[in-house]
Amino acid sequence: MNESMDNNELAGLYVLGLLDDDEHAQVSRQMAADPALAAEVSYWQERLLPLAAMVEPEALPPALWSRIERSIAPVVRQVPRVEPSAWSRLWDNLAFWRSLAATGFAAATILAVAGLAGAPRDDTPRYMVVLVAPDDKAPGWVIQASTEQSLKLIPLGSGEVPPAKAFQFWTKADKWQGPVSLGLVQPGRTLDVKLDKLPPLENNQLFEITLEPEQGSPIDRPTGPILFIGRAVKVM
Amino acid sequence: MSSLTNDFDFESALAACVRGERNALHRIYQLEGSRLLGVALRIVRRRDVAEDVLHDAFVRIWDKAASFDPSRGSARGWIYSIVRHGALNHIRDHAREVSVDATPETEFAVEAGSSAADPYEQVLLSSESGQLYDCLEKLDVAKRSSILLAYLEGCTHTEIASRMNTPLGTVKAWIRRGLQALKECLA
Repeated sequence: MNESMDNNELAGLYVLGLLDDDEHAQVSRQMAADPALAAEVSYWQERLLPLAAMVEPEALPPALWSRIERSIAPVVRQVPRVEPSAWSRLWDNLAFWRSLAATGFAAATILAVAGLAGAPRDDTPRYMVVLVAPDDKAPGWVIQASTEQSLKLIPLGSGEVPPAKAFQFWTKADKWQGPVSLGLVQPGRTLDVKLDKLPPLENNQLFEITLEPEQGSPIDRPTGPILFIGRAVKVM
Repeated sequence: MSSLTNDFDFESALAACVRGERNALHRIYQLEGSRLLGVALRIVRRRDVAEDVLHDAFVRIWDKAASFDPSRGSARGWIYSIVRHGALNHIRDHAREVSVDATPETEFAVEAGSSAADPYEQVLLSSESGQLYDCLEKLDVAKRSSILLAYLEGCTHTEIASRMNTPLGTVKAWIRRGLQALKECLA
């Protein structure tokens, strides 16, 4: 993020939707702890609101309200479950990581087998992550990073996203306050992710894919169950 | 905007949502739903997606009504920001999927002829008066159009640069200076 940018300007770009994904996520997170920034965001939301009058109203489809009505009953009961996510539970669970370490050979095996076709042969540090299902440790995805600023998420199989749900990809290094979304992913499809707005990849950095609502997590951290999880390992 | 909307107490309606009164959410939907659908549609540009965005936004308004803080702004502004947020998040994620496919030109193609001198001139002239509109009219066309393309269409810096046939850095500067000028004018 541009250091010379003041809060008002940052908030203006945020409300206009002009920050990139990572900056946007950062402002969303920061607002919760920084009332001054939240006030600047409200400033622009309020000041720019009259622009909505420039938009032509659209006829509402008759079925839409009943769809909303059906959705609001169960969701209300889920509210208390949203905040404490499975993240803290799982990554503080030493037994889980020990059991995963025991299967650590999986990374090397997959690296050899999958061959990571077309991987550039250069001297830059590389990181590998094998994302496994938390329960049976079945590997589902491999992450390959040929630089510290980008990575490739490679599926090891296909699968299906349940209706009205999405798979969301997250990362968190040890010293970060919270996880950062790397976007939604589709089963069976390779995803290239630029990390240029994040600190360089580091050893042991956590990655995971969670099940989230169709549009992704409504808050800036995972809310649904972890489907796949793993930590970055530096490959010599 | 109808006088009905102006008179409606959105803050009380949100408070009623917190108490579990579905009728309050329905009133918000009846009053603002069609314009909110228009706002979402302009950004996501697909009707089915815009309807999904509106659905998710109303579910979120219902869930999060208790977190609305009247000291920070109006209830109506809060409702609009939730819809815009949902629409912008959708195109964010969509853009990412597209970049994976490496076929961005089909998704990001800008309609030919959209680089008219001032695409919003007519709308501005016909829109209702107000301080924001007065201030927008004082901005030069480039800054005004850049800000409106971002707010109304959900365009990124790159898309605005492409539509206006202008280098990216210039567009970024226009927007920053435009926001500064608007702030000074609105003060």
